[in-house]
Amino acid sequence: MLLIPTSSSSSSSSSSSSLLPQSFFNSNSYSSNHHSLFLPNLRYPILHGSRKLKNLRLRANFWESIRSGFVKDNNTTQLVEPPSTIEEDTEPLVPVEFTLVERTLQDGLIEEIIFSSGGEIDVYDLQGLCDKVGWPRRPLSKLAAALKNSYMVATLHSVMKSDSDSSEGDNGQKKKLIGMARATSDHAFNATIWDVLVDPEYQGQGLGKALVEKLVRALLQRDIANISLFADSQVVDFYQNLGFEADPEGIKGMFWYPK
Amino acid sequence: MLLGGTISTPPASLRDEDLKSRGFLLRRTAEGLNLDQLNSVFVAVGFPRRDTAKIEVALEHTDALLWVEYEKTQRPVAFARATGDGVFNAIIWDVVVDPSFQSCGLGKAVMERLIEDLQAKGICNIALYSEPRVLGFYRPLGFVSDPDGIRGMVFIRKQRNKK
Repeated sequence: MLLIPTSSSSSSSSSSSSLLPQSFFNSNSYSSNHHSLFLPNLRYPILHGSRKLKNLRLRANFWESIRSGFVKDNNTTQLVEPPSTIEEDTEPLVPVEFTLVERTLQDGLIEEIIFSSGGEIDVYDLQGLCDKVGWPRRPLSKLAAALKNSYMVATLHSVMKSDSDSSEGDNGQKKKLIGMARATSDHAFNATIWDVLVDPEYQGQGLGKALVEKLVRALLQRDIANISLFADSQVVDFYQNLGFEADPEGIKGMFWYPK
Repeated sequence: MLLGGTISTPPASLRDEDLKSRGFLLRRTAEGLNLDQLNSVFVAVGFPRRDTAKIEVALEHTDALLWVEYEKTQRPVAFARATGDGVFNAIIWDVVVDPSFQSCGLGKAVMERLIEDLQAKGICNIALYSEPRVLGFYRPLGFVSDPDGIRGMVFIRKQRNKK
């Protein structure tokens, strides 16, 4: 049994993976009066220092930055990392926190799915979520340390409120952690995504896709040129659809004495 | 019956004293590491030349690193570093040996010690991305590619066409 907490289900013996890469927002999967998709929440648009990056986009050859190897090279030609090509970033900056989905449920309750890259996460909630998807238990203190040492922690929370509740914030509202993804990084060249998970009750709605897509965008906007991950075989397609390529140019992921 | 002739076996790991006696100093912090010289080693093995300010940032946020200083020139001749979350996962990046110093066990020496240091921190999941032609370097060190069908994946950004 592979005990590596990878980008998805870490236990090969668990029958359900933490991510079921199903169809995008299947609007028939729940009964709703209306739902909005990807609403930037203008009520509290806390923007990062990513604004300061002024929409830089690097064109450096990605695999040059991740080569682990050496070669006898007697020629004198030298590769220079291409200067960053500053171009208009037509994609909007990812706010730290915004509403991904808002839908009215049958009983009149309004459910908001909120994405956040601010990293505010209760480690007990996370452990509960990991239990739900069937991952082996990890010590709470280590979980907390891993989160603290991560460059970015993206979360999905579900907030329930009644129709009549027009107040902002979560005063008395039920807020539930339903998804998470995190990335480690050297803050300059590389980032690696780990532990992508979505509550099984919320799978099949495109939330996992949104979670990873927003995380990747946020990383790119922080100028991290190389974003990598390790995918269990059953979720390789899921990540391919999000723009990830397996074994690019033959580069292989390797693990040291995996269990 | 004893057979004559030499049997080719992989060289034994270099011990710290072996390295010292050959004029190589092991370093575990970036202190004293000249980033321009490190950049030259990167370039010598085919990496792009990178902004040293960015290298500095990367090293500040690196969990563990190891480099070999050639005493005679005081220059770095081998290097490797690892990033991660400090408890579960680590990825090893930028493994390089100056071409003039390759094939004498320095790469292996650096990798073995880096892995040891990561293990001492309690990190059990150590991974890396290997170019196809150096898979043979990592395998004898204990690395397995695609264990259980796990695939390394990288996000590919589409080149935008300027108008």
